Formats: sequence, structure tokens, C-alpha cells
Amino acid sequence: MSEHAAPAIKPANDPAFKLPASLASLQLPLLAGGLLLLLVGFGLAYSNAAKIGFSAYLVSFIYCLTLSIGCLFFVIVQHLVRAGWSVVVRRIAELFMIMIVPLAVLFIPVLVATWMSNGLYIWTLDGWMTETVGVDPEIWKAKSGWLDPGWFTIRSLIYFAVYIGLAVFYYRGSTLQDETGQKSATEKLQYWAGPAAMLFALTTTFAAFDWVMSLAPMWFSTMFGVYMFAGAILAAHCVICLFSYLMQRCGAMRDEVTVEHYHDLGKLIFGFTFFWTYISFSQYLLIWYGNIPEETEWFWIRQTNGWGSLSVVIILFHWIVPFMGTLSRHVRRRPWAMAAWSGYLLVMHFIDVFWMIMPEAHQGITESITAVGVAGAILCGVGMLALMVGLVLSLAGNTKLLPVRDPRLGESLAFENI
Amino acid sequence: MSQDKDKIVKGIVAEFETVDTLMDACRTVRDSGYKKTDAFTPFPVHGIDTALGIKPTILPWLCLFGGMAGTGTAIAMQWWMNGIDYKYIISGKPFVSFPAFMPVAFELTILFASFAAFFGMWALNKLPRYSNPMFTDPRFDRVTDDRFFLYIDATDEKYNFAEVEKLMGDAGSAYIQPVVEDDSPKQVPRFIFMVWMLVAGLSAIPLLAVLKMRLTRSELPRFHVFFDMDFSPAKDAQHATTLFADSRTMRDDVEGTIYRGQYSEEIVSGKKVAASATVDDLRFVSRFDDEALSAAGGDRDPGGLSDEAKVELDADKKDPDNKESDQKDSAGSDAGNAGSASPDSGDAGAQPPIPDDQWLSEIPLTVDRAFIEKGKEQFNIYCAVCHGRNGSGQGLVHERARKILSQWWVPPSSLHQKSLYRDKYPDGKMFGTITYGVRKMPGYAAQIKVQDRWAIVAYIRALQETRRGSLDDVPADLRADIESAKLEAEARLKEEAEKQKKKDNATEAQK
Repeated sequence: MSEHAAPAIKPANDPAFKLPASLASLQLPLLAGGLLLLLVGFGLAYSNAAKIGFSAYLVSFIYCLTLSIGCLFFVIVQHLVRAGWSVVVRRIAELFMIMIVPLAVLFIPVLVATWMSNGLYIWTLDGWMTETVGVDPEIWKAKSGWLDPGWFTIRSLIYFAVYIGLAVFYYRGSTLQDETGQKSATEKLQYWAGPAAMLFALTTTFAAFDWVMSLAPMWFSTMFGVYMFAGAILAAHCVICLFSYLMQRCGAMRDEVTVEHYHDLGKLIFGFTFFWTYISFSQYLLIWYGNIPEETEWFWIRQTNGWGSLSVVIILFHWIVPFMGTLSRHVRRRPWAMAAWSGYLLVMHFIDVFWMIMPEAHQGITESITAVGVAGAILCGVGMLALMVGLVLSLAGNTKLLPVRDPRLGESLAFENI
Repeated sequence: MSQDKDKIVKGIVAEFETVDTLMDACRTVRDSGYKKTDAFTPFPVHGIDTALGIKPTILPWLCLFGGMAGTGTAIAMQWWMNGIDYKYIISGKPFVSFPAFMPVAFELTILFASFAAFFGMWALNKLPRYSNPMFTDPRFDRVTDDRFFLYIDATDEKYNFAEVEKLMGDAGSAYIQPVVEDDSPKQVPRFIFMVWMLVAGLSAIPLLAVLKMRLTRSELPRFHVFFDMDFSPAKDAQHATTLFADSRTMRDDVEGTIYRGQYSEEIVSGKKVAASATVDDLRFVSRFDDEALSAAGGDRDPGGLSDEAKVELDADKKDPDNKESDQKDSAGSDAGNAGSASPDSGDAGAQPPIPDDQWLSEIPLTVDRAFIEKGKEQFNIYCAVCHGRNGSGQGLVHERARKILSQWWVPPSSLHQKSLYRDKYPDGKMFGTITYGVRKMPGYAAQIKVQDRWAIVAYIRALQETRRGSLDDVPADLRADIESAKLEAEARLKEEAEKQKKKDNATEAQK
């Protein structure tokens, strides 16, 4: 605000850019506890049924993946539009985006399940289409070439290659600039932002089709990739907002991230809450109107056997409540309020991912999901998230908390909305 | 100042050369307690609202209420229109179905919210107005260029010209002036009225021209506003046309068209055409060809019937030679002979008899596996509700009728009775029964295609074979499956029987 002068750019080695000791000390407990919870959760869900165990694992994996690729897109888009305001919070997004590397390792259990008979994806079960009502063998014959464990594995490797390539490119470009302070580094990242965004869009669409949509192999929605992306980008903004707040509470970046940045993050969170609603409703409306059995199947499963109440919960608490809650600028200009809404939306995003994946876990098995299975899925999610946050913190300890020598840092520091 | 003495002073304006001096002045003015103030700058200055102590605008609230009014209007409108006023089934959805209402609700929310924002902004800025007193000072024009102005309204409680002047001077303003009312005339200039009247007059000309044309007679040919609506490019047969490159009006049939008579009469009717023609030509009168029927009366020359009339055949209806039967038919059921046929007789064309040897004894189409599968599908759609999926006559409708003890229910025939086997009941006759109905069973000619009716016949024959055939009829490689299925079924039946026995014993023991 012009009321007060913009904060001066501090030297790169200022303690405000270092990870606060209170957070650094959380690293080990988070890593160990996360791994433990992940294993316990997986074990619990596995005791319900093997497929439910892997489904629970997939929920937590997709949840963490969406956070990571959402942050990746955030970073790409900031470079694409040459944004000035976001420089002070960009490093947090970069730290989460690079988590795609450990996530590639965490993907191995999903791959293992793909090679098991009905371990996770029903199409891996031999002759599944004859045992499932309403599957046209002709259509499945055409699809089976695509949904084949070998080709699925190759595609997954390609997706990770693209994601990791993009993430490493942007992460290294940004962290190297901390040392060199070269303006050309920013220009290079900007130059490649356009192709990166396109590559990202294609990869995300196909990854969503393969990893999540193929749980119901005969069902198809061309909007599914966008749907998963909408959840991802919303969750990414929430993570950035929540983490900025945590860092500030613990003493870092106090002068750098201002109420103006929270206001902007808040506007984006508000906007993407509605974007998510818009996309999911668009997907629903067309299928509802067409009312063709092969398309309605996916929603039908989610309206029956108790999943219906979860669907209503998502409509109310993933859309209406946060929509009304973040509508006012008075809320968006209160960092603690936006941090609270971010945490809330991250929980809702987990429920959304759970709702996407778990109803398909019934397919082809006799067991149904019990409270143990649900608890397992939740523990899995908490565990993998803790693991990821632990890794983020350990990485943050070795780097700066914001791009200290970015050419637009001054612009970002002086940023104001009105 | 002196020349403005007689004018009403609306306030005071001070000019500043930099943003910083303006901001300082703003803070001074705010801290001195002035409320009715305004600042003018060539570009947006961050933080000037707080520097001047301007309260946040209420526009967001207007926008919110506008949006909510939009949602409410859209929902109420659609609920009234679709649910109450004009109930119209769309895509088989309920009249009031919210998913369908959502897009309209969304659009109206946006529309009303933007209206509220746009017109709310006008209202809050007191727009539209002819002029603003600020513009009376020519020097103020530089506000769009390189100068910053601060204004204090004369209606402010603390307003005092001398004090404000001193305050502004201290803040660094070199140019301080009272703002006087704009005394330029407020009447709308004459020429604007003239122009409006001219435009209105001119725009009436086309209307008047149309009126004149409609009310007066003329020897000139009529003026055609929409030429091709008056002279349609549609042509009669054999005419030339400009619509197609080859100038032919008559076009080739669309690919896949089925011509009348494309199927042979035997296939369509299920009868040996040559034979039945010798019996009674009038039977060839189409039941749907009302004109031919009424013209025929009692004594129409059968030789005069056209070939087309013979295509759609009628098996057991409207025998013009038998007036009594005719009346009974029209009074009774469509299929005729409703009263006299005993429910279990299963003999279809009991009435005005077409002798069995007149019917085709075999299906006149190629019967293969796909054909029978098609018949199975059609049978299960149309026939199974009454006759049961296994053809035993125990379909769902029958079960229901029995349950409610329906008085007038004629039980559907079992298709497994011997009188319906091929040697007693030719394929063509069964085709005729499906086509025209029998007793309470209506004809299905309108619902099932000719080919599919034959396919159903083929499937019924296959069904019958399941009860009369022996294991030797089954291909050798499938016999083992049937044997094992049989053993399984027998074991299950035995088990169930034992269970039942135990249960009976238990109940008896209790007694």
C-alpha cells in the first residue's frame, strides 16, 4: 500500500528466507509418521479386501498427485502470463511441484496392482466383461488394446517423464537463479511456458483417463481430465495459501507475503471453487440429459448404496459452503481466514478424490467397503500427505523460501489490489 | 474569483503537481475531519481511498443481491413455466428437474449481477447527469494529463472557505479555486428535438408505405417482399428445377429405402399366395384400406382389386359375405371370435377359416443362428410378458392377473402344446397370429417388423424343440455340458425337496 512504503528487497541470505527451525524440526516426525500411517492405512484397507486396499492407496496417491501437478501448473501459468504478484509465493508451489519425483516412486504399488488380476483395475481381470452385466464384448474388444497392462505401464512412464521433465526444468531454473540472479533464467522459463502448458494439459487429460477413469473401463467422459485438473488447481492454490500462512506464523517471509497476496490467492481459490463446480456440473448435466445407460452408470453407482449421501455432501460442502464463505473480500483479506478455508478445501478435495475412486472398488469383488476400509483410506491419505510435506520441508531447508533474486521480486513486494 | 461572486459556490478544488503532495494533502484533509471530499488523478493511485478516508463502496452488496435475484427469478420462472403453467415432457425428465434449470439459473445470476453492478455504479455516481461543476474550471482538464486535484464539497459540515484554502496552501497547492455551479443552460437544445422528430418521421415511412400498399388497389403486379415464399422452389414431378445440377426434380431414393412390395406377398402375409387367391380374393383386401372396404360393400368385384391392396393381407377379418360375422367382429375384439374361443384351445385361426394348407408351412427366410438370436430378442421384448420367457404362458402379466383374480383375463396359451407344433400349426399361421392377433391377443404388425416376426416364429420353434427334442439332437461336443447342467439341476431340486420335507416335518411336529 502506498500508505506504507513497499518492503525493501532483503539480501538473499536474510534469515527471513530460511526455513524456520520449528518447521525444520517437524521433518523427521512427518516422514516417519507419514510412512507408518501410510502402511497402517494400506494394511487396514487391505484387510477389508485386496482391491479396496489398492483403491485406498490410489486415493491417497491421486490426492498427492493433484496437489503436485496443480502446483506445477501454477508455476507454468505464472511464467506464461509473466505474473509479478505471485513471485513471493511461487517457491512454495515449486517445492510441491518437484514432489512429482518421489510420487513417481510412490506410483510403483499402483503399477504392481495393474499387473495383478483385478488388483485395482477391473479390466485386468481375465474375462471380466463376461461377468459384468451390460458390457458389449465388441466395444471392449476395441478398448482392450488400449487398456493393457504393458501399454498402460509404458504410458504411465511417459506421463511421469513429462511431469518430472517439466517440474525439474522449472525447479532448477528458479533455484539456480537464487545463486546467479540472471534475468535470462526467467526469460528462458517464460519462453517455454506455452509449450509446457500444452504438454501439461495433454498429459493430465490422459493420465486422468488412465489412472482414474479406467477404474470404470466402459465408462467415458471427455471432460474427466478437466474435472481432475479443476480439483488439482484448486487444491494447489489452497496449499500455497496454507503454507504461506504457516511459514509466516513460524517467522519466515513476514514482510514479503502481505495481505494483498492472500487477497489474490483468495480470489483464485474462490474462482477455482466455482470452476470445479462448473466443470463437474457440466459433466453431470450432459450425462443426465442424455440418459444413456453406458454413460449414466458412473453416476448411478455414486447415487446408490450410500454413495448418494456423499455426493450430496460434496455438492453442499465442496461448492455452496466455500463459495459463500470466500465470496466476501473481507474474508479474503484476512490471512487466517483464507488459511482456514484453504485447509477446509484441502479436506474437501480429499473427499472428492475418494468419491471419484472408491465407489469403483466394489467392482468384481464380493466384499463391500466397511468402516475399516474407509478408515484405511483416510489414514493412507493422511500418511502420504504427511510424507510429502515432510519431503517438502526437508527440501525447503536446503533452499530459499522464495525466489530471492527473481527480477520481479520488487514488483511482487509492492503489489497491491486497490 | 471576483467574476464568480454572484454564482453559487459548490466547493473548493486544489491542484497538486505530484502524487505524493496529493496523498499528503488527502491525509491532512481526512485528519482535519472533512467527509465530503474527492480526489481526481490521471491514473489509479493505490491507497487513495484510505488516504482520503473513503468508505468501501456498497456496490458488491448490490451485485450480490442482483445475483441472488437472478437465481431466484430463473428458478421461479422455470418452476412455474415447466412445472405448473405449461407441462411439457422434455427428454422424459420430470417437469421440475433442477439439473435442467441450472444453466438458466446460472446465466440469469450473471446477467442480474452485472446489471446490478453496472446500473448500481451509475446510481452511486449519480449518473447520468448533464454536467459536473468541476468542469467549469478549464484548468481542471489537465486532470487527464499531468495534474492531481483534491475537492472539498461546500455541504461538508466543517466547510469554511478560508480555512480550507489555508489547509490546501500548507499542503503545497499553488492553485486553489472555488468550484462554481455550472450555469450553462440545462434545457435540451432545440436542434436535438428536431433531429429526433426527423428520425421518427423518417422511420415511419416504410410503415406508411406498407400500409398504403395494403389499403389501396393497384394495377401493377403485387410487390413480393419474400419472393421465394410466394414462389416456392418446390416443384411437381417431371418439372425442371434449378436446385440440383442435373435439373431433375425427381430424386433417387435414399439408400436403404424399402419399397412397397419389395418383400414377396408370401413373406408379408405368411400365406401361399396362389392358393389363398383361389379361395377368396377378398381376403386380400387390406384391413387398413378403408376406402377399398367401404367401396367393396357386400358385392364388390374382387377382380378389380389392385396389386397394392393385396400386399397387406388380412387373415381373419371382415368377411363381406358374412354380415353377421362382420357385425360381431366390429362389436367384439379386433381378432374376432372373442366370445367363443375357449382359452386353452390354442388354435389360432379358428374363425373364418383359412385352411391350414393355405399357410406357408415353413419360414420363407434363411434361418441361421443370428436370425434365431434376433427372434429371441424380439420375443423377450414383445411376447415374454404374457407368454413367459420360456413360452409356458406364465408371463408376468399373467401372474399379475392371476394374483388380482382378474375376471376377464384370458390366459395366454402355452407355446408348448402339441397343437402348436409345426405339423399341426404351420409357420405361416403362427406368423399370421403374431401379425393379426388372436382372441385377446392384439396384432403386432405395427410394432414388429416383418422379418422380426418370422424370426420370432423361428425362436418359438426352437423353444418348442427344448421340450420335445432328445439328447441326440444336440451336437456331440455340447452334450456333456447339458448332462452336467442336468445333474446339477437334479441335485438342486432334490436338495430343495428335502428342505421342504424337513420344514413340513417341523411344522407338523410343532402341531
